[in-house]
Amino acid sequence: MSAPKTLPTKTWKSELEGRMPEAMAREIDVFEGQIALRKQGKIDERLFAETRLRRGVYGQRYDNGLRDDGTGPKPLTFPSDPLTKGPDTVWDAPGMQRIKVPYGKLSSEQLEILAELAEELSDAILHITTRQDIQLHFIHIEDAPDMHRRLAAVGLTTREACGNSVRNITACQFAGVCNDESFDVTPYAEAMTRFLLGHPDVQEFGRKFKIAFSGCDDHPCGLVTFHDLGAVAFVEDGKRYFKVVVGGGLGAVPVTAKVLAEKCPEEELLPLTQAVSRVFARLGEKQSRARARVKFLVQKLGIDEFKRLVAEEREALRDDPRWTEYLGNLAILDEKPIRPGGAIPQSPSPRFRAWVETNLRPQAQPGYYVATLTTPLGDLSSDQARSLADLARRYTGDAMRLTVEQNLCFRWLSGTDALAFWEEVEALGLGDPGASTLADPTSCPGTDTCKLGISSSRGLTAQLRKSLPVLAEDPALRGLRVKTSGCFNSCSQHHAADIGFLGVSRNVGGRKVPHFNVVLGGQWSQNAKSYGLVVGAVPSKNAPKAVELLTRTYAAERQGEEAFHEWISRIGKARIRALLESVSKAPSYEEDPSFYRDWGNPREYSTGDLGIGECAGEIVPWVEFGLTTAEQETYEAQDLHDAGEHAAAAAKAFASMVTAAKSLVRHLGGQVRDDAEDVVAAFDKHFVKTELFFDPFVKGKFAEFFLRAWARRSFETDDPERVHALLDEARLFLEACHACYQRVGATPTPITTLAPHAASPAE
Amino acid sequence: MSTTIEHAERVQVKLYGEGAKLSEEALVPVWHRWISERRVEDDTLIDVADYGHVKDGPGIALIGHGADFFYDEGEGRPGLLIFRKRAFEGDLRARLEDAFARVLRAKSWLEAEPGLGARFGSDEVLVRILDRLHAPNDDATFEALAPIVREVAEKALGHAVEVSRAGTPKGPLSARVRRAAEA
Repeated sequence: MSAPKTLPTKTWKSELEGRMPEAMAREIDVFEGQIALRKQGKIDERLFAETRLRRGVYGQRYDNGLRDDGTGPKPLTFPSDPLTKGPDTVWDAPGMQRIKVPYGKLSSEQLEILAELAEELSDAILHITTRQDIQLHFIHIEDAPDMHRRLAAVGLTTREACGNSVRNITACQFAGVCNDESFDVTPYAEAMTRFLLGHPDVQEFGRKFKIAFSGCDDHPCGLVTFHDLGAVAFVEDGKRYFKVVVGGGLGAVPVTAKVLAEKCPEEELLPLTQAVSRVFARLGEKQSRARARVKFLVQKLGIDEFKRLVAEEREALRDDPRWTEYLGNLAILDEKPIRPGGAIPQSPSPRFRAWVETNLRPQAQPGYYVATLTTPLGDLSSDQARSLADLARRYTGDAMRLTVEQNLCFRWLSGTDALAFWEEVEALGLGDPGASTLADPTSCPGTDTCKLGISSSRGLTAQLRKSLPVLAEDPALRGLRVKTSGCFNSCSQHHAADIGFLGVSRNVGGRKVPHFNVVLGGQWSQNAKSYGLVVGAVPSKNAPKAVELLTRTYAAERQGEEAFHEWISRIGKARIRALLESVSKAPSYEEDPSFYRDWGNPREYSTGDLGIGECAGEIVPWVEFGLTTAEQETYEAQDLHDAGEHAAAAAKAFASMVTAAKSLVRHLGGQVRDDAEDVVAAFDKHFVKTELFFDPFVKGKFAEFFLRAWARRSFETDDPERVHALLDEARLFLEACHACYQRVGATPTPITTLAPHAASPAE
Repeated sequence: MSTTIEHAERVQVKLYGEGAKLSEEALVPVWHRWISERRVEDDTLIDVADYGHVKDGPGIALIGHGADFFYDEGEGRPGLLIFRKRAFEGDLRARLEDAFARVLRAKSWLEAEPGLGARFGSDEVLVRILDRLHAPNDDATFEALAPIVREVAEKALGHAVEVSRAGTPKGPLSARVRRAAEA
């Protein structure tokens, strides 16, 4: 085998230079540097795990280097063993990349890049999640930085797609074209996305924080009630407001969000959210992951006390022009049709007519429709994605949105084009009718790729997709929803389904049998108004029969327009259990061994592949990220100095001091901007004047390096000797910052965070 | 060579199926067994992913560390596809040689699986270069690729071939290899 004669001169970094937003490009460079440092053993694996999670680089099943083949766990060996990318997470093991798609909005160009990345780096599948993200599986971590660059070049980011921060902000897919919305929430969701991405006040959470927008209170699309923070639009006296709810969540124990503000003026939405974030960061649980979501904080404090703290925090916030500047140009994201509107043509095709009935929704704008494509299990191939991007260009423009039911919407489809459009999507295998009906079940990844999966949610859903379309022909059943999660974490949002399933394991005759708990009576309408309850478990292989039993009985016994959840409530749990009795027992292994294997998996069922989920992230104080970044900046400064770029080296050395000082200030809960002047003032006030930075031997000497460098503008020099001295001082200052952090600890007493803005320029 | 195609790392080679489409219920257990018995000695096989529900998609995947196998349904034509994805020593020619060797080895293994009924031809082969940095899908790069593919394919398949451009403009750089007509 011959080696290439030359090293590659082209890199994605060089090819895309100038096409990525500068800040994103810089962050990706830093992440790439951290990958290199981890490979050299210079970053702790726990810290690195949270670092990559905050870049959306997630673990995947078997990434502990073990796989159960049905007879017990067997080792998977990799070239980089024993290097890890997190606790019990093997470096070379494939992982999942989550890509944020704020409020699900995708352009053709973005879809094409996603298609390219999926086929080059993954398995040619783009998976749509229940939170309007895209996930790619079987990714190698070393491919991540270039992937992030290619995404950044088309305006997509993976930042904070996982980890303990603000996740993708979701919104109703009909926003802006809906017949009965109060107003278009799109620009508000966009503004909040931009405002919170990387914001210092959302870096110290003990768990993730999910935000959703809804344009109205009545319809389910926004699902705000099970979000950490939800905003529901309404208009009063011609002025725009949001009802803001907080502390909702699904998971093992679903909680309905409480009203934080009945009437939040639009200009107060961002500062209110910032204040909530600061309260959550300051008082939220940090040690016990199981109780670290904001819903537990709201429960612990009570909503009234939570409101009081938020109001107090809001009063103390420093003004930020970003809170309101977007309000002056709300129309900037308005979409325009590219074809004249019109009526839907007649067609003899019964499939087309069925598709029109369930998958086409008239827009507020006459002659236009939202077309929803049902994507089986949320999966699109790269070839399909490219074809869809082409369709968007020809029929609708860049007006696609992903939905929380794992589908893809095309907005602004002219009725005149409906038949031609459907014929093209039908040819792609995406023309099935039944969107958002019983025929369109939702599933989390489950045991296919998730470390927490207990039963095969995708396997069951694939099976249900064969039987549900028949049941959905009954108009009484068509509107029902079925959602399946592989475990109790409710990623499919099964609590809000009419019929939900969550994976569990049961022992039968000394063997494990995959089961699903049956959750009944959830209400998808009115923004997921109520949650279903577990009525019992059925073997995985009997779950389709359970659906058939329940739906057929409901159809037969329904009184008038009685909804499914009303029927469940009327007949009671005892009757439901009796109904399910015939499908609740697994036969013995000897009678039918297929019950001892999960859907689509020939291995004898076990829970041996269960791992520790990374959804909760690693609890790493944000200051540690800051100090690591500062460390990296000192390395870069040294490299610049060695290369003779002394002025750049001086600037970088001082930047590392600013980064470290800023991290310490924020660690104490102080509000500080990114600019050096603000950081120096805050550091001086909270660490130097208080002597908190002083150590027993040299007192405040190293702090003086920082303050003096600022006062003398040492970072503006290009004199090699002075730059060399600055490099030494930066290094010493950084060491002192580490020592100071160790003294104050991971959970320090916060400084007076609520001091009024006028009290100090740094507060 | 004016392009940097020699640095392209990710390559795919697909042999098309002959006869009936394989049943996924039959193939999935076979690939799970290959993982258990460590069928590929110089690589680690990790998992099986079933995308049979996606029309003309990647079909059923056997995911490995260095290379994946697919019972691929792309173009609406099922076939056995190998995706050599991780970098290793050598240039594009070496990677293509490796991919051809792997796909032909997998072909013989699958065809020997009892009850599966797998048959794959070698008169027509699809080669795709999944590396848009070093192998953009343009005329100049294809001109650079074609002679390498021809040479590697003829050596691997043992007969003369013709190489033509394949795929779509926005898809990856692709070449179709066909047995050359006898003179």
